[in-house]
Amino acid sequence: MTRRRQALTAWLFLTPAVLFFALLFFLPIGNQLLTGLYDSDGVSFVGFGNFTRAFGDPEVLHSFLITLVYAAGTLVVGTAAGLGLAVILNQALPGRTLFRSVLLIPYLTSVSIVGLLWRNILDPQVGILNRLLEAAGLPGQTWLSTHPLATIVGITVWSGAGYTMVLFLAGLQGIPGLYYEAARIDGAGPWRRFFAITLPLLTPTTLFVSIIGLISTLQQFALPYIVTGGGPGNATSLYAHRLFIVAFNDNDFGYASALSVLLLLVVLTLSLVQLRIGDRANA
Amino acid sequence: MRERLFPGDRIAAYVVLVALGLVTVLPLLYMIVLALQSDAEVQSGDPVLWPEHLEWSNFTRLFEAAPFGRFFVNSFVMAGAITLSHLIFDPLVGYVFAKMDFPGKRIAFVAVLSTLMVPFFVRMLPIYSIFASLGWIDSYQGLIVPFLMDAYGIFLMRQFIRPLPDELIEAARVDGAGEFRIYLRVILPQCKPALAVLGLFTFVFQWNEFLWPLIATSRTEMRTLPIGLTLFNQEYFTQWNLTAAGALILFVPTALFFVITQKFLVEGIALSGLK
Repeated sequence: MTRRRQALTAWLFLTPAVLFFALLFFLPIGNQLLTGLYDSDGVSFVGFGNFTRAFGDPEVLHSFLITLVYAAGTLVVGTAAGLGLAVILNQALPGRTLFRSVLLIPYLTSVSIVGLLWRNILDPQVGILNRLLEAAGLPGQTWLSTHPLATIVGITVWSGAGYTMVLFLAGLQGIPGLYYEAARIDGAGPWRRFFAITLPLLTPTTLFVSIIGLISTLQQFALPYIVTGGGPGNATSLYAHRLFIVAFNDNDFGYASALSVLLLLVVLTLSLVQLRIGDRANA
Repeated sequence: MRERLFPGDRIAAYVVLVALGLVTVLPLLYMIVLALQSDAEVQSGDPVLWPEHLEWSNFTRLFEAAPFGRFFVNSFVMAGAITLSHLIFDPLVGYVFAKMDFPGKRIAFVAVLSTLMVPFFVRMLPIYSIFASLGWIDSYQGLIVPFLMDAYGIFLMRQFIRPLPDELIEAARVDGAGEFRIYLRVILPQCKPALAVLGLFTFVFQWNEFLWPLIATSRTEMRTLPIGLTLFNQEYFTQWNLTAAGALILFVPTALFFVITQKFLVEGIALSGLK
C-alpha cells in the first residue's frame, strides 16, 4: 500500500475523533479564552478586567485559599493512607485480594451516595454516629459545623484511598525483591528497609499520585456541594463551587470564564511538572 | 519475593486491615439498614442497627414520590450510549495511532493527549451555551455528546494494540482485505480483554457522573439518578430511609461491577491508569 493511501486511510479513520476533539475540546477552550475578556453581557470588551477583578474578589480569594487547604490536606492524608495500605497489602497475606477489592469500593461509588451517606451519618440529630455516641453515654459531635473543611477532607480520603493504594501497589511491583534481601543480610530492620529502599524507590509513583491528586482536588465540586452545599457560611465553598455560583446563580459567564481560565492555567502547570518528572524518571 | 514489613507479626497487619475494611464497609452496610427502616425508626432518635421488620415498601414509596424509574432509564441511556460510543471510537483511534504511519501523526497524538490536562470546567460553560442555543438542554444528546470519546480510552487501546504482531495486518492485506475490514476482523477480535476493561469503567464512571447532568438538565423527567437522588433528598430531607433506598438503586451497577471484575479489578485499574 502506498504511503499516500495509508495517510488517507488514517485520516479517514480519525475523522470522527478530529471532529469530536475540535468541536468539544479545542473550540470551547478557545471560546473560553475569548469570553473571559468580555463583560457579563458578552458584548462589552473588558480585556483583562475579569482577571484583575478575580484577584481583588474576596469571595474568589477565600475559595481559592480553602481549596489549597483542602487540596493539601487531602494530599498529605490521602497519600499516607494509600501508601500505608499498599505496603501492608503488598505482603503475601491470605485474603489480600479481598481486602484490595473492598478498599476500592468507595472509589467506584457515586459521589451522590458518598455525600448523602456521610451527611446522614454525621448529622447531629438524625445521624447514626451521634445516636451511637449518645447510647454509649458519650457527647455527640457536630463536625460538619465545627470542622467542615477537615470533615470534607476526611470523606475525600475515605472515598479515594483505595485508588491511591492501587497506584502505589503498581509502583511497589517495580522494586526488585533482591534489594530487600541484601538489606536484610546487612541487618536492616523493617522500618529501616521502608525508609531506605521502599520510600526512595517509590518517589516517581509518589510524585505521580500527588500531582494527579492535586489536579483532581483543585477541581472538586460535587462532594461539598452535596454534603454541605458550600457551608456553613462559605466554609466549604471551594473554587469550583464559586465558579459554579458565578456562572449559574449570578449568570456572569464572562467572569466565570476568566475563573475557569485561571483554573486551566494552574492545572496545566501541574500537568507539565508531572510530564517533566515522568521524562526524568524514564530517562 | 515480596517484602514483609512486619516479619512474624501478621496480626498487626490484619488488625489494621480489618479496622480500615470496617470503616470502608460499615457506612455502606448502614445504607442498606437505613433503606429498610420504618419512618418511626428513622425519627425515633435511637440507634437502629437492625430494623424491627424490613420495610420493603420504602422502595414502592420512593417510586411514587419521585420518578425514579425515569431517572434510572435516563442514567442507563446516558451511560449506555457513551459506553457504546467509546467501544466504537476509542479502539479505532487507538489502532490508527498504534499501527499506522502518516504525516501529522505526532501532532494529532499530542493534541489528543493534551486534552487529558483540560479540567471539565474549562469546556463546560461554552458547551452549555452552545447546547442551550441548539435546544439540547434537557435532551439525551445533550447529556451524551460531550463524552463520546476520551483520551484515556484512546491511550488504553493504543497501548493494548501496539504489541500485536504487524504480520497479522500484513497477511490480511496480502489476502486483499480492505483497511477497515482488517481493523474489524483482525484487530478488534484481539482486543476483547481491553474492551471489557474500557466498557466496564466507562459505564460505571458515566453512571456516577454528577456535574454535567446537573447543569445539562433542569426538568425533573430528564434528571439522571445521581442528580435526581440528591434533589429528592433536599425535598424529602426527613425521610432518610427513602433516600437510602434510592442510593441502593444507584449503587447497583457498582455492586455488579465488583462481582464481575473480582479477579482482574486491581490489575485492571493499575493497567489502565484510569482517573
